[in-house]
Amino acid sequence: MKICSRCILPDTFPGIKFDEHGVCSHCADFKGIEALNEHKREYEKKFLDLVGQSREKGAYDCMIAYSGGKDSTYTLKVLKERYNLRILALTIDNGFISERAFKNMCSVSENLGVDHLIFRPRFDLMKKVFLKSSENDIYSKKTLERASTICTSCIGIVKFVTLKTAIEKSVPLIAYGWSPGQAPVQSSVMKVNPQLIRATQAATLGPLSKLVGDEVNAYFLTEDHFALADRFPHNVHPLAFLDYNEERIIKEIGQIGWEEPDDTDSNSTNCLLNAYANDVHIKRFGFHPYVWEIANMVRSGVMDREDGYKKIYGEQPSGLLTVAKKRLGI
Amino acid sequence: MRDEVRDFIFKNFLFDDSGDSLNDSDSFLEKGIIDSTGMLELVAFLEEKYGIRIEDDELVPENLDSVERLVQFISRKKVPS
Ligand SMILES: [Zn+2]
Repeated sequence: MKICSRCILPDTFPGIKFDEHGVCSHCADFKGIEALNEHKREYEKKFLDLVGQSREKGAYDCMIAYSGGKDSTYTLKVLKERYNLRILALTIDNGFISERAFKNMCSVSENLGVDHLIFRPRFDLMKKVFLKSSENDIYSKKTLERASTICTSCIGIVKFVTLKTAIEKSVPLIAYGWSPGQAPVQSSVMKVNPQLIRATQAATLGPLSKLVGDEVNAYFLTEDHFALADRFPHNVHPLAFLDYNEERIIKEIGQIGWEEPDDTDSNSTNCLLNAYANDVHIKRFGFHPYVWEIANMVRSGVMDREDGYKKIYGEQPSGLLTVAKKRLGI
Repeated sequence: MRDEVRDFIFKNFLFDDSGDSLNDSDSFLEKGIIDSTGMLELVAFLEEKYGIRIEDDELVPENLDSVERLVQFISRKKVPS
């Protein structure tokens, strides 16, 4: 397998091309770190303005989709300590949260003094979602570049449950802990538009409910939510414009009681299903579902190439597949 | 501009060699070509490429959800009224 000499994308990545120096087309298209930093400053300012407008509107200023992993934990810490927001942390338990991650969530919420809501969708239905997602290409081709279909289904449910909860509770801001490689800075501060949500929800829910049944509708918006158009919040993902350094983040959240789990794969610090989702994806498509995200971080100087390479091509702890398969009943 | 937009969609969402056909009036979301994250990437591309600033209330399917709609939207944005 050929791997880009600058980032870490492999020649098995869809549509990729290499020049004579072994540099990939994504690196060739990259506008450079200076341009990126300019965007970061612009969006941080946009975020600060928004925070100013969001305070003291209702019971909470902000909701965070809290997975218990390092990135959402750090995002929560920053929102609380640096911006002093009144936060409701919402965890969607997909049935595969590592034991350590659970302890982490509880210690962190307690130490930071934030309210924490845990929502656990029925596992028989989630299991069906995961099994169907491991066998079918449910969503657009583009999603396969960025994540496994299992992950995309799970995140889809997380996003819509989080959004409907924010609408129901009149919370003006939703924060996500997307890493700087996961989502572009240009979308890091954005008003959620009801019409666009209606269309994107249909694109997710349509194919999903066909495969697993209408019961999954419970996790998505209804007409009652769409009728409350003035309650649609802003989405923010602050890690896109804040300084990001994995080592420093882990050290900082260590001070509020977060410990690194030893039972997850190298690309997750909370989910026990992730290793299986990755394995299915690699076998079907020939590339790692995290390689796009990690390559973005390597390219933009947020992560050393060597560290990124290890995350994607390094050896994974054994036994993770067995654990996930057993719980899925495979 | 139409060619540039089509080119971007093909290169980024359909992959050049996939042989998928796309009519200018096809809805990206309905055809399963672009998802919500893809929409955001599309917005980033348009802002960069055409030097326009897309406001929150312009992020609607009417402006973004087909080649035809995109071309019309960009044309309107580029000529300040
Ligand atoms: Zn590259």
